[in-house]
Amino acid sequence: MIKLALPAGDLRTPVADALESVGLKVEGYGEGSRTYILSVGGHERAVARVFREKDIPIQIAMGSYDLGICGLAWIEELRARYPQHPVASLRDLGVGRLGLYVASAAETEGLGSLGGRRGLRVASEFPNIAEAFALAARLPAYRVQAVWGAAEAYPPEDADLAVIAAGDEAAVSAKGLVPLLRMLCSSAWLIANADSLAKKDLSPLLGPLAGSGSRGEAQSLRLPPPLPAGTGEKRPAPARRQSLRMALPDGHQQRHVVAALREAGLLPLAGYDETRCLRRPKSALAGLEIKVIRPHDMPQLVATGEIDLAVTGRDCLTEHLSRFPSSPAEELVDLQRCQFNVAAVVSEDVPASDLDGALAHWRAQGNRMIRVASEFPGIADAFARSRHLGRYQVIPIAGASEGFVPEDAELLIEGTETGRTLVENRLKPIDLLFRSTTCVIASRERVLSGRRRKLFDQVVSSLRMSANAG
Amino acid sequence: MGENLRCRGMRDMLPDDMRRFRRVEEAFRTACLGWGYEEIRTPVLEHLHLFTSSGTLSPQMLGRVYSFLDWDGWSGERVVMRPDSTIPSARLYGEYLDGGKLAKLFYVQSVFRFAEGDESREDWQCGVELIGESQPQGDIELILLAREVLARLGLDADVRVSHPGLVRAVLARAGLDAAEQLAVYDRILDGDAGALRELQERLPDVGASLGMLLAVEGEGRAYLNNLRSTFVESIPALEEPLDELAVVVGALEPLGCRCLISAAMVRNFEYYTGPAFHLDVSGQKVGSGGRYDALVSLIGGEHVPASGFALEAAVLADLLPAEAPEARQIVTVVARADDGESLASAFRLAATLRAEGLAAQVAGTAPDDGPRVAASGEGYVLSGVSGKGRRLASVEAVAEALRQTGRD
Repeated sequence: MIKLALPAGDLRTPVADALESVGLKVEGYGEGSRTYILSVGGHERAVARVFREKDIPIQIAMGSYDLGICGLAWIEELRARYPQHPVASLRDLGVGRLGLYVASAAETEGLGSLGGRRGLRVASEFPNIAEAFALAARLPAYRVQAVWGAAEAYPPEDADLAVIAAGDEAAVSAKGLVPLLRMLCSSAWLIANADSLAKKDLSPLLGPLAGSGSRGEAQSLRLPPPLPAGTGEKRPAPARRQSLRMALPDGHQQRHVVAALREAGLLPLAGYDETRCLRRPKSALAGLEIKVIRPHDMPQLVATGEIDLAVTGRDCLTEHLSRFPSSPAEELVDLQRCQFNVAAVVSEDVPASDLDGALAHWRAQGNRMIRVASEFPGIADAFARSRHLGRYQVIPIAGASEGFVPEDAELLIEGTETGRTLVENRLKPIDLLFRSTTCVIASRERVLSGRRRKLFDQVVSSLRMSANAG
Repeated sequence: MGENLRCRGMRDMLPDDMRRFRRVEEAFRTACLGWGYEEIRTPVLEHLHLFTSSGTLSPQMLGRVYSFLDWDGWSGERVVMRPDSTIPSARLYGEYLDGGKLAKLFYVQSVFRFAEGDESREDWQCGVELIGESQPQGDIELILLAREVLARLGLDADVRVSHPGLVRAVLARAGLDAAEQLAVYDRILDGDAGALRELQERLPDVGASLGMLLAVEGEGRAYLNNLRSTFVESIPALEEPLDELAVVVGALEPLGCRCLISAAMVRNFEYYTGPAFHLDVSGQKVGSGGRYDALVSLIGGEHVPASGFALEAAVLADLLPAEAPEARQIVTVVARADDGESLASAFRLAATLRAEGLAAQVAGTAPDDGPRVAASGEGYVLSGVSGKGRRLASVEAVAEALRQTGRD
């Protein structure tokens, strides 16, 4: 059986079109099916699964999948950390074109001006590429902030530089940043596991795909030269903050948060409602500064004191505290919205109704290694330790986890709202870890005074009242 | 166990390995103490930023470190399993040893760096740091100390000396910028003849003789004089590094230390600031060192000169012949019964024998021909040596009898 990994997200439609144009119709893929196991029409020996783009090169490198399609940027992200990975780039499909840029907030005077500056913070969804940039530029004592998304929103307050994907330089500028260096021109590539390519007949898929895209060499990362050593000046200490900084989430929590804010009388926010999502919406409350970022990234910013207050999911806070037990981030208000269970999930075929039964089943089958795939590797790791899984492996993934069980993982640690997706994918929950909900978080070590303290109390008590009323 | 449970690139040291390793360690410690150095040990975990700001590790090396977020690393500040001991030593000096003073430090500890395949990812180093000494006698002392360690192990080492200023002067004279200098030099080290040719084309007044500087190894002061007369007129910046090397080599040669001059030896030439050296035994590199005066200031301390070296302890240990374990007679004390009081009495007797300088055990099985002693009535019975059991009146008598059999 040939296994093909296909991307979810923005690449779904163009990749489905590209496949269809060479006669490879993947049932349900282009329509955005939530079923993650798809058959490749006309080829009984081929099966496709949908993954988050970021996970595809890893799946190919591990040999779990023979062929995959994903952006070159994610292939380079893997290569930057693991240069020997066994992934062969076969064809540029010519869709999903993006550049990978190093960008800064407006006041930076070009790349050269960064030379020798100590302690620069680089935010990126591509932390390995960001690291390769910092090392090549010889930035002293840099810090890479790995974020789930919205890296463009970090400079200048929460990072000095961002490594982001954007259509072109104008698109970088439209995000309010100055492009300093284009590190890569990315597009969707057909990739293969080197071992599969050497030993397995992949021609039923490779044949048709040979007619699509172009065969040119895959570009490699363009790294900066060593920057001049400069004076070794430290990043200037931030000025004493006058405003209260609050983070709100984008993504599926946004509509729930908009409803909570409306209930609390904190709307309107210019640029943040059911339909719009600006990174810096304007509040009518004087002194309240709002930034919209990924909910996963909020606990860290709260813990470091960059953000005073954030609305995120309890799942994200629990993940942060699982990885960093002494972090000062804490839950202040349960908004009781966007509720779902975080559970341990297995294949329907596992003849057990609880974890102990499932473990006994796997061990009886000779499985010494229990593979746990999760978007929440910290929670998964803490779960595996506390439930005595024995020899286990946590596979951190970016999403679309349903596709992993049973071939590529025994167990998922997964958020489930209605359970419908689980049923569709022949999965079942066997253990409840906790119930997640949208909540307000802050640092228990916060130091607020005067107007900022007053505003903090006002916002928190409004949100608390709205939660109680709901 | 059928499956290999050991992590790739990690090595177990068995008793024979440890005997040889301890020999290396003892030779190193004895030599260092004799030259007035003091022993330190630094922690396995350090902040990653120490290494990215010091600039002594190349980006390629920094790309192979074991770094991660600690349990309290929510700020994104990573820690690293020390990939090198020089930078931790410089940190320790800045924090505890009152910057500005002379410090002569040595350590035996491991460093962790990723390597492909089964190559070692944990390397043990016998390292020396001389901080606060700017004079050439420091460089000379380090080379002589390293040679003494090897001599104590019965190993004869070739000493190769170099100076990063040689390569730097040539590449700068060729008009290459910092990035081009690194790229061309890497190609020369990889044996790419084209790189040398390109460099020669850029330096027509030096031309073909460049090969003599970058590709040839010469010997001692004579070769240094040849380099000076061939190149200094065209590349005046070579004069200073050649002068520095001449002092070092000029002192070492009369002391019987043969020095090979190898201009293109210093791989990460962008970081060293003064004379550097390699030590080879039977063609195998066993250690290296050099001067990096900017080190302490780069990690936030005052500007203090520094130089040092590290010997590869496990590599040296592997070069030594296997050593038979020390022939030690172990006496087994046999308890009268398995009750607590009898066992306590047996352990008490074993402790007394150890205090008499003998090796004594209660647990474990006595070897077939090994001595056994058991309390019997008012005295003791010693058996397992020279015929049947002997009755002895006191512990002291048992000890004397055992010493006697050990001597026999």
